[in-house]
Amino acid sequence: MERFAIVGFGCAGYHGLRAIREAGSSARVDVYSDTGLPPYNPMLTTYYTAGRLPYEGLFPFGSLSEIAREYDAHLFTETRAARVDSKNRAVVTGSGERQEYDKILVAAGASAFVPGSFANLKGAFCMRTVEDAVRLHDAIQEREYQNAVIVGASMVGIKVAELLHKRGCQVTLADMAPHIFALAAYPEVSEMIEARLREMGIAMAFGQAIAGAEEHLDSNGKVRGYTVRLADGSTLETELLVLNIGTRAATGFLDPGEITIDRGILVDERMETSVPGIYAAGDCSQGRNLQSGERQIIGLWANAGTQGRVAGRNMAGVPDETDGNILHNITHFLDMDFIGLGDNRLGGEVHTYQSPDKGFYLQAVVKDKKAVGFNILDNYGVSGILKAHLIRLLRGQPCSFTPEQRGQLLRYRLEEGFIEKLEART
Amino acid sequence: MKRYLFFDSEKCTACGACALACIDQNDVDTAAGQQPFRHTFTLEGRKGELSFYSVSCMHCADASCVMGCPCGCLTKDPESGFTLYDTQNCIGCHSCAMACPYGIPGFGADGKMQKCDACIQRQRAGLVPACVKVCPTGALSLLTQEEFLARQEKERQKKARLMMTKQLDQ
Repeated sequence: MERFAIVGFGCAGYHGLRAIREAGSSARVDVYSDTGLPPYNPMLTTYYTAGRLPYEGLFPFGSLSEIAREYDAHLFTETRAARVDSKNRAVVTGSGERQEYDKILVAAGASAFVPGSFANLKGAFCMRTVEDAVRLHDAIQEREYQNAVIVGASMVGIKVAELLHKRGCQVTLADMAPHIFALAAYPEVSEMIEARLREMGIAMAFGQAIAGAEEHLDSNGKVRGYTVRLADGSTLETELLVLNIGTRAATGFLDPGEITIDRGILVDERMETSVPGIYAAGDCSQGRNLQSGERQIIGLWANAGTQGRVAGRNMAGVPDETDGNILHNITHFLDMDFIGLGDNRLGGEVHTYQSPDKGFYLQAVVKDKKAVGFNILDNYGVSGILKAHLIRLLRGQPCSFTPEQRGQLLRYRLEEGFIEKLEART
Repeated sequence: MKRYLFFDSEKCTACGACALACIDQNDVDTAAGQQPFRHTFTLEGRKGELSFYSVSCMHCADASCVMGCPCGCLTKDPESGFTLYDTQNCIGCHSCAMACPYGIPGFGADGKMQKCDACIQRQRAGLVPACVKVCPTGALSLLTQEEFLARQEKERQKKARLMMTKQLDQ
């Protein structure tokens, strides 16, 4: 009987397991997870902390026992894979046990990055894992924080800002980047969002590095607050400090001499790594960016699922490929929607559209008569159609909308003339 | 048994009966600004020719909304093949909308996703979806897998004939 291992059990690992079974494989599948928790979605952490999602809701695929039963998996929970010996396709656990396999899927995800200057702060919060979510959830129940500094003006940062703002906390969002959502938004769109945040009373300190922070303790040794130092020498006093600086792919258990690793583990269209029989998927892997043609970590939930599924099918002997993905984000926060599609660094002709009722704003960047990116404010309805359009263009497929899509774009208040511009008819 | 909600644009007149039936069947509160799960519209071509459409969830075989939902609210029904949902844990993040190439998912006053479920409860009771029942021209129909495949083949042949005629005209 063939023997497979899955190292890491989040979205990619779950879909890998499921695809192995759905493709008809009866291989023995061992799943290694360093937690005792079912696969969870890091994106849901802020919703749990905000009290908008019950604890069970963090685990969209059900309990571990349900998953193990349904997909006939041998689960090794709270078992850290200390090393994956790529050459011999073996997994070595933290306690030194070694098992060899025919194929291995590495789906270890990514972890929150905390720079050295913050490493000694015992009371600062991150927002990535279930433990992080529970910790902040409990902390804000226990103490009514008057103010908070959130480092990292990303999709996670803004959700943390939202939940604290709604509790009446004075929030300052800080980032080294000059604008909010610097990796997804065009500067003009960032400025629109920032103006709205300012009006709501959310403060922003952008464009300078956060040099460090001093932790202040009370006489009982409990954290009372922080002095956050910015690169220009100014300081921010705060009771609560949340760090959402970014993530790093979990690859420490692999030998870069054996398997090709850049920022993540490099994979081909079949999600196979540089070592035959070893696959990688999800936030630890670096698959193809459809737009640049380069390999890049695209750390998104649906992307991890698709990559896991492709890896699982190939492991089961059913050939499958993914030609890659584009950068795409949707963030619903403080009663607005921001959607970024495509690489926001790509330039071109800029076309903007504001609906007559001022209800939504669209900024499209068009190069050589083809759209290369979109920013949308407050219109989720057009987002999927424009995303599909962008992907079709990149695949060299027809660039006109289907009648159904055209009808929906009109219904969602985009005007005929602007739709024509996006179709890039010559 | 797999079933398919089939739309024939040649028979549609965009009369809106399907959307009304959807409002009635799903208790859509239009007075409160809610929208039905099916929409009809008329498009005008470059030469002034009109074409008519009725659009709701396409119930895609590999539905990207299912993978896109961070909460696992959307599923493919193994029995019928339709894209169904349970929004108990829906957080209203709109990820399903960004995943859908047709702009189908909508959101109710409670912020939770809602869309066409092919009137699955009616179907489980042996009835056809409300839009199919009411469509006066037969543009909307509920097909079995066999009927659907035959229909697809017919459409393919029609398209091939059309392309050939176009090429001969040139």
